[in-house]
Amino acid sequence: MTTPAPAITGDDHVLGQAGARVTLMEYGDFECPSCGATHPILREVRRAFGPNLRFIFRHYPLRDNHPHAEMAAQAAEAAAAQGKFWEMHDRLYEHQDALDQRGLTRHARKIGVDVAKFETDLAARTYATRVERDVESGRASGVRGTPSLFINGVIYRGPRDRASLVAALANAAMAPAVP
Amino acid sequence: MAKKLMNTAVQTGPRRIGRHTIQRLLLYYLVAGGILLLLTAVFPQRAMTPAGDIPPTGMAEGLDWLRWRLAVMPLGAPAWVDACVQMVGAFLLVLPIAFTYIRTRTRVKYDHSLVQTVVMLPIVVTAILVVVQDSLALAFSLAGIVAAVRFRNNLRESGDAVYIFGSIGIGFASGIHALSVATALSVTFVVVELVLWRLDLGAEFDDMFNRLCMPSGADRAAPPSSAGDVPEPTGGNGRKRGASESPDSDPRLTTLRIYVDDLAAGRLAVEQVLARDAKVWTASSTEPGEGTAGVLEYRVRPRKSVGLAAVRDNLLRDGAPHIIATDETDAAHRL
Repeated sequence: MTTPAPAITGDDHVLGQAGARVTLMEYGDFECPSCGATHPILREVRRAFGPNLRFIFRHYPLRDNHPHAEMAAQAAEAAAAQGKFWEMHDRLYEHQDALDQRGLTRHARKIGVDVAKFETDLAARTYATRVERDVESGRASGVRGTPSLFINGVIYRGPRDRASLVAALANAAMAPAVP
Repeated sequence: MAKKLMNTAVQTGPRRIGRHTIQRLLLYYLVAGGILLLLTAVFPQRAMTPAGDIPPTGMAEGLDWLRWRLAVMPLGAPAWVDACVQMVGAFLLVLPIAFTYIRTRTRVKYDHSLVQTVVMLPIVVTAILVVVQDSLALAFSLAGIVAAVRFRNNLRESGDAVYIFGSIGIGFASGIHALSVATALSVTFVVVELVLWRLDLGAEFDDMFNRLCMPSGADRAAPPSSAGDVPEPTGGNGRKRGASESPDSDPRLTTLRIYVDDLAAGRLAVEQVLARDAKVWTASSTEPGEGTAGVLEYRVRPRKSVGLAAVRDNLLRDGAPHIIATDETDAAHRL
């Protein structure tokens, strides 16, 4: 049975242009150590491709294993509401040991969002549905763990070192388009 | 020549000292010198106080006269005040050295604990020398104590040792009440270190070799070497600059793997960018892929004014649409 490729929607968090030659999508969990380790690699990969790569991030908090992951995902969405998703995304991955309520507020202050609104959004769980939508799309596409990477809509199961990822993405970018 | 050298040092290149840096250092030394003069005048060393109530006369005794006029304690400051003055002097004179360390180190080579060590060390050395003074017995005791404590620390850079020695030197000079010597050491150290850093002396082996060791008018492109000839590039027209730049052995060259959708067009685009942005480059391999696509591998040393990150950005920008990605290959991958 083939799983449907995750469709890109208007409220996805996207870096890069729609016309880029290759699209890399990550389902990630801000508390997951593997995601944290993959984060700088993906940054290098984005640098390797420049405008030829479109990068999309979706939430997939593993609630059973990571007690702070869900709230961190909502915090990223609360920051996104104030136009600071990628700043929060980077900060959360770089400070995985500080994802409790105080840590999230501190990160929000550091990246310069309106902390009062940020805290209100978190307390009201305003973005829980938004996060859940990402999780549901991941499940539908066969995501079982994090980080899960999709290259042009196809799940990538190879090694997650920089050289392998760049090679896989380059192959996808250079592959003739399927009619 | 020296003027030209300093103009170049101040104005151009990626290793810029900066006019503001020089102005700040000059201002700092003037202020620090003034503070030290005032301190030594107000709190003179006991042995240095002019005798009696008669002011010294004559041009040669101008400083003594100033001391006599300003001295709060005309008979000489007590030992602890004198020690404080010397320690403050050591502290003020070592700060520019710590600043020079921060200015000349990259983020990778920077060691913040060394900065703190360099600042603290002369204060401690001054205090030790104030205690030891001329006592042979105390000196032997100090040697015994130092021998009993094992100091072992690996410095991140061999050049960092110079900062430690410079710092100790200032401490020594301050400890024996030779603040003028400490000032001279501090100024000389800062100037020489900044100039050496700016010129990156010795980094360009071939250029230095040609200038220093080859007869005038000799072919500078081909210095004699036992390392053998540079292998011809497998493709492209990489500029070779001597045997030391053998692409396999030169650590200054970075391997770039460049993914292209058309090998011929991609190579042309890559080499146009490298001809402009790289100081040295050689094509090292070509891996054909599906159809016309493939991977070009180059050993590259970017121009200092450009930098590797900008070379990669320029490849992606100017090499569009044929260049898909550029990746720096680490040693493990090459093996």
